[in-house]
Amino acid sequence: MNEPTMIKVESRPEETSSTPREWIRKNLFSNIPNTILTIVFGAFTIYAIRGVLGFVLSGERRWEAVATNMRLLMAQGYPANQFVRVWFTLGCLMALTGLSLAAWKASGRLPATKISIWIMNTGAGLALFAVLAPISAASKLGWVIAAAIFLLIGLGIWFGLRGENKRPTGSMPTVWFSFGFLAILVLSLWTVPYGHYAFVEGELIAETGRTVAMSTKLPFTVMWLILVGSYLFGVRIREYIPSGRTKAVLVGLWFLSPFILNWIVLRDPDFDYAHIASTDIPLALLFIIGGGVALYILSKPSLGEVGRILAIGLLFFAVFNWIGAFFGWYSMLQKVRISFVLLALAALIAPNFASDRKTRLRFVAGWSALIAISHWLITAVNSPSTLELQGPTYLGGFSLTLFVAVLTLLLSFPLGVLLALGRTSTMPIARVLCTGYIESIRGVPLITILFFFSNILPLFLPEGMEIAELAAIVTGYTLFSAAYLAENVRGGLQSVMREQYEASDAIGLTTSQRTGFIVLPQALRVSIPPLVGQAIGVFKETSLVAIIGAYDILRIANSVVPAQTEFLGVKREGLLLVSVIYFIVAFSMSKYSRRLEERVGLGER
Amino acid sequence: MIKKSKILQLLAVLFAFTLISAACGDDDDSSSSASSETSASEESTDEVTLTQDGESLLDTVQARGTLNCGVSGAAVAFSTLDPSGEMVGFDADFCRVVAAAVLGDASAVNFVSLTAAERFTAVQSGDVDVLMRNTTWTQSRDTDVGMDFGPTTYYDGQQLMGKAADGFSGSSTVADLEGATICTNAGTTTEKNIGDAAEAAGVTINLQTYEDFDIVTDNFISGACDIITTDGSGLVGRKAQQQPEGEEWVIFPGAPISKEPLGPTYGQNDSKWADAINWSVYATIIASEKGITSGNAAGVVGNDAFDAESQRLMGGEGELQSLMGLAADAFQQVITQVGNYDEIYARNLNPVGLTRAGSSNAGWEDGGLIYAPPAR
Repeated sequence: MNEPTMIKVESRPEETSSTPREWIRKNLFSNIPNTILTIVFGAFTIYAIRGVLGFVLSGERRWEAVATNMRLLMAQGYPANQFVRVWFTLGCLMALTGLSLAAWKASGRLPATKISIWIMNTGAGLALFAVLAPISAASKLGWVIAAAIFLLIGLGIWFGLRGENKRPTGSMPTVWFSFGFLAILVLSLWTVPYGHYAFVEGELIAETGRTVAMSTKLPFTVMWLILVGSYLFGVRIREYIPSGRTKAVLVGLWFLSPFILNWIVLRDPDFDYAHIASTDIPLALLFIIGGGVALYILSKPSLGEVGRILAIGLLFFAVFNWIGAFFGWYSMLQKVRISFVLLALAALIAPNFASDRKTRLRFVAGWSALIAISHWLITAVNSPSTLELQGPTYLGGFSLTLFVAVLTLLLSFPLGVLLALGRTSTMPIARVLCTGYIESIRGVPLITILFFFSNILPLFLPEGMEIAELAAIVTGYTLFSAAYLAENVRGGLQSVMREQYEASDAIGLTTSQRTGFIVLPQALRVSIPPLVGQAIGVFKETSLVAIIGAYDILRIANSVVPAQTEFLGVKREGLLLVSVIYFIVAFSMSKYSRRLEERVGLGER
Repeated sequence: MIKKSKILQLLAVLFAFTLISAACGDDDDSSSSASSETSASEESTDEVTLTQDGESLLDTVQARGTLNCGVSGAAVAFSTLDPSGEMVGFDADFCRVVAAAVLGDASAVNFVSLTAAERFTAVQSGDVDVLMRNTTWTQSRDTDVGMDFGPTTYYDGQQLMGKAADGFSGSSTVADLEGATICTNAGTTTEKNIGDAAEAAGVTINLQTYEDFDIVTDNFISGACDIITTDGSGLVGRKAQQQPEGEEWVIFPGAPISKEPLGPTYGQNDSKWADAINWSVYATIIASEKGITSGNAAGVVGNDAFDAESQRLMGGEGELQSLMGLAADAFQQVITQVGNYDEIYARNLNPVGLTRAGSSNAGWEDGGLIYAPPAR
């Protein structure tokens, strides 16, 4: 298989190495306007850094407010005695990350040049810090020594490995460099006295000069071990299991992980086993067997158009169930209504599997897995949580931000692609509906939609039907974000040339094959930059959920911590932390998008 | 012909599905009414129509097993999240008082944090059973908005805070404010009250408003504001926590420029529910008067050191709680699990510098306004 990353421009000339002096003269002081700009912006940068450092290190700052409230900022009121669930969730994600790194052969290598420059830059940054920070002379000396050590290590790598061309040779795997970096961070938890802050039984414990609490450093160490261990395990099993299968399993696990980790692990449903045995399992079996038989028949090649007519009839029936439930004409389990919709959709795509017996059986097996997983999730979601909670939701703080962002992105992507396809399709009804939907949603502010879904929607629901606050938030946000996503995808669709359509028609592809194999891959490739921009926007705008009473990280930093008796009015520290966290996540997404663009060769071909 | 029979088979299968799932329909409601978050629940629908059905919210809450209590979530000393994520404060404790009385368990509270704008809607739509969200009892809210108000738990009032260095003292009045820059938060009644008071006193002031009171306080510290104004409880808290060393902040005038009685708020026309809440609050006040504390409440019944009223209140002979639809020892649970009025006050409001003695919130024997009808 061709690795897309292997494209390398061999003809690019080697960069002529210049001495630092030449480089500075060429780039910073080449002419008078350039010199003025360099001096002005240099002075401005130094002033800004000095201001920020002065703010961060000022004696008035009460960073213990942030340190003490770290758990509140991350997970709000998640019960302390159940916190192991949070760590288990993180551990699962770490294991998946490690296995994926191994499965996708994260084979990038960092050249020694780059490592050496990074280390020297860190040293230079520390030196700048020592010069600019308003700290005592003694501590300045300490920082200068640290800076010197970094510079020496960097120079040591540079000159120790220097080969031809005056540049160091050699490289190390990026993965191990990252692991090493994380290891240093984790080790610092055990050795560096960051300070010990806790809130136990209403008493504030603040001891400077100690390392962080055991409940912080131990789990993070375990997380690191899980990450590295699963990577090594993944590398080992690569020899025994074909990589295609591992990747398929991992993709499936990644997709399921938000649902399972959230509703099963974090929420801990209190299953009513008697009800499950009497109703849930028989229902699931009924749908697996009955639906499986129906789909097997529907995917029969000789069935022809009749299959499609039946599938459409089934879809009408499935939709009618929801209308009937809305007006309360007859009662049917919500689970059954969802299953009928799934069955109708499966019946619609059944002709695509109209082939030999093996393909049809695989289709039926897929259906069984879908029903098993969806029924299990619906049961779990509908079971009450065993957690003893202070508020209406078990999520809060940064975990709520992540939950809303991840779920919204996961759900709005397929919806947005469908809307874009509908809007560009030649079917008038679909086009009008999709256009109307997109335009009406885009004409309404997100705040309005959130208010609508949390306050007004419950009034419209039939008696006895309730929608949970979190579900309302995610639903409204998904519908909103899908409309914007659709427009981004439509931009991509329009960039696909007419010849592509004509060519695929000429070789006899069906409409769905043309869309799936020819049009969408090209359209999505072009849409990567706006799609990632949209994803970053979705992540950042989750802070709006605060207006309908949910505690996201920004609200906790902005109005909860400053209202605590111990930290009255202490707001700026928390806000700075929150902006740093938002920046880290958004910047990583943008960095990843750049890499993705490079991989698919966007802007190059 | 073969095709047709296949279609018939399919239709038969689907028909069977429909029948079975429709038959299971009733099951759904019973299973999901236990659900805390999603789907249907029989009780919740009754909340909206409780007055028509003649069924009280009290029965609904007792059937549900938890109390949905609306709080602010960001009101210093009244309802805030502490670093471990627990809702604490004066209002939060009165939520626990009601839960202890109605359900026998002070921890069976589901705190719903509400903004000022959505608090009344939340009561009307049944999202919360009772509001403990420093809501001022006013005529329009009592009548037009459709709320009923319980006994006032905290008598607040708008005051001003200035710096002693600027010549202000505890005996200053609004008339001394000529030309001063006065800051408060935007969109509240405090803004209107200070404007009215200045006009009545015939002084011109420079009124500036900010989005929240943290910014107001910062501007006061930096000197951009000469005077800041909000409810007295808020000012005392700020003074206790944020007054820099070597500076003296003074709060005046002695008689606040507005009356802000704060207490439990609930939907109107549900006497049974109103009685349960009101008497839970009264029980804490009576217990405070009689010297019943969280330490000795369990031993009051049958103890000759306590009078007959205390005995009845704690569930002894002649108790009246059973007639209200509560457990006989409901108020004993309140005092044991949460505490009496004085304990609740001391626990939450003393740390920010608010003392009962000498204020409107002293007991009526001490010249305050906290008073409860007799339990008999």
